[in-house]
Amino acid sequence: MTEQTPQAPGKRGLKSDQFSGLMLVAFALYVAWENRAYPVGSLQEPGPGYMPLLLAIFIGVMGLLIALGGGKSQRLTAITWPEATRAIVILLACGVGAFALERIGYRLTVIALLIFFLGVLERRRPLPVALVSIGFGFISYYIVGDLLHVPLPRSPWGF
Amino acid sequence: MVETFQNLLLGFSIALSPSILVYAFAGCIIGTLVGMMPGLGPLAGISLLLPATFGLNPIIAIVLLSGVYYGAMYGGSTTSILVRIPGEAASVMTCIDGYEMTKNGRAGPALAIAAIGSFIAGTVGVIGLMLLAPTLAEFALRFGPPEYTALLMMGLFILAYMSSGSTIKTLASAGLGLLLGMIGIDVMSGYTRFSFDVVELGDGVGIVPVAVGLFGISEILLTAGQAAAVKVQRPRLRDLIPSREEFRLSVGPIARGSLLGFMIGIIPGSAHIISSFVSYGMERRLAKDPERFGKGAIEGVAGPESANNAAASGAFVPMMALGIPTSPVTAVMIAAIMVHGISPGPLLISQQPELFWGFVASMYVGNVVLLILNLPMVGLFVNLLRIPYSYLYPCILAFCILGTYSVANSMLDVWMMLIMGGIGYILRKFHYDLAPIALGLVLAPMLELSLRQSLAMSAGDYGIFLERPIATTMFALGLLLFLLAIKPLIFKRGKDWRKDVGLEGEQG
Repeated sequence: MTEQTPQAPGKRGLKSDQFSGLMLVAFALYVAWENRAYPVGSLQEPGPGYMPLLLAIFIGVMGLLIALGGGKSQRLTAITWPEATRAIVILLACGVGAFALERIGYRLTVIALLIFFLGVLERRRPLPVALVSIGFGFISYYIVGDLLHVPLPRSPWGF
Repeated sequence: MVETFQNLLLGFSIALSPSILVYAFAGCIIGTLVGMMPGLGPLAGISLLLPATFGLNPIIAIVLLSGVYYGAMYGGSTTSILVRIPGEAASVMTCIDGYEMTKNGRAGPALAIAAIGSFIAGTVGVIGLMLLAPTLAEFALRFGPPEYTALLMMGLFILAYMSSGSTIKTLASAGLGLLLGMIGIDVMSGYTRFSFDVVELGDGVGIVPVAVGLFGISEILLTAGQAAAVKVQRPRLRDLIPSREEFRLSVGPIARGSLLGFMIGIIPGSAHIISSFVSYGMERRLAKDPERFGKGAIEGVAGPESANNAAASGAFVPMMALGIPTSPVTAVMIAAIMVHGISPGPLLISQQPELFWGFVASMYVGNVVLLILNLPMVGLFVNLLRIPYSYLYPCILAFCILGTYSVANSMLDVWMMLIMGGIGYILRKFHYDLAPIALGLVLAPMLELSLRQSLAMSAGDYGIFLERPIATTMFALGLLLFLLAIKPLIFKRGKDWRKDVGLEGEQG
């Protein structure tokens, strides 16, 4: 999991809790702004916008408290992101996979995704990559789609 | 008592039928494997298996999913003891002394005590569930909207008090979850809120994409790029038997962990995680020679393992008796029951006795299955740990996409899962607890509806919460715990119980 990097005392700069607290405040303000579209009603007769507004205020106050009390947390720059590039690539690949799922079907999507992860990202040898990708794509489809009767998307070619 | 016994017999007649037994076995095995895989805790495992239960009858569905739950709790301990990797968060404490025992050549007894402790705690938990849930359900029949509002508010306050990290951050997480639960059609006015013109969002955000994203995807994003497979010890069956002294030392921690875990399990939050931390802290404090802890003390395995398994059973009490989830796992299980047209709540036990008592009996069976299956097969299960993580995580990702999509055949759910994965990754970097988000999402519609119904009942008078003794008591209790939770924030010298048991607590 994440490690707390020891901080050098007395150093200036935004702290992690101050940053996250302020982000929460900004998010709360955004929610409150979006909430204008719904009638808030009154304290006695709350409308559909009442609870979201109450929650936006609550999150804003919590964010403010986190930011105010965050002076002793680690510096924002002390949070390391060594895995961030890989994480972004994984998320993007999954996004492309999600986009492709209903277009080219479950099996082709999963095979392509696994080839990308194992072959391109992890640089594994071609034979195990092919075996794992094709094997996983077909076996998982057979178990979930055929045995458990969960409808999974097929390609336009019926595959 | 006679009635309970008769009901239990009814339960066993259901649980011992071959089809249920097969699914109980399957659930325990899948759960054990899921618990051993980093990135796939009980919640992600249950969420992924959820679509597969849609075609089953509700009893089989709940038996299968609960088997996965307590199987995963057990599986997590195996990896903690053998390779110092907690398969799921509740096993973190088991790593400390469990792995030290492995290094000292005592992996077998550590695994055996973890299994025996889990079995005893699981059984104690089921007895507690069996005795407490029907009584609580009967009591809850007196609840109206004000009582439910008070109960849910109390749950959120307790969540803040029992959080393993910062109270304020936990409350902020709960707020984010509650806000997420506001998305969709408001049942009282018909307004569609925060749907951003996406028609599918009118139905709200589902618990499965949120849970799989927050807990499964974010874990993979944090751990992807990890080194190759770790070296794993493969204990033989004859090495598993603990010595007489190890048995003697484990009796107290197992008994205390079972009771403590069950009680903590009933209250909201990451109970199974907290219970293992509290149990470890308690055992270290009670030990005559606490310096042994961290160097392979068997009490450090017996206590936390018993506690987290008892907590897993305890979490079913409010779920079955009140229809209120106290953890993301029970929230997903409620979704599993509701798919079959069954409304969880105080009437569930009286209207669906086969479901409740069959479930209770299947938990007894499941505990026995775990004990007799996992110890002899531990050598086989640990082979999973030899698979390099670079091969495991892409398959887990594919499972996450598959599981989330198949819940409602919705691409929006897959997108939601990925977004939640990204958000979970960032929040974990900033040390925010993710469980309150999932919990808030489920509780939000109930809380809003009961609050507005209460005000409709009283013509807008908030005094209704003070006129009804049950609601008033729950509000007062919740408020008291909330004040205790924020005490360390106000009085800097105030004692924070979480720091005593090794949790993060308030910073500063």
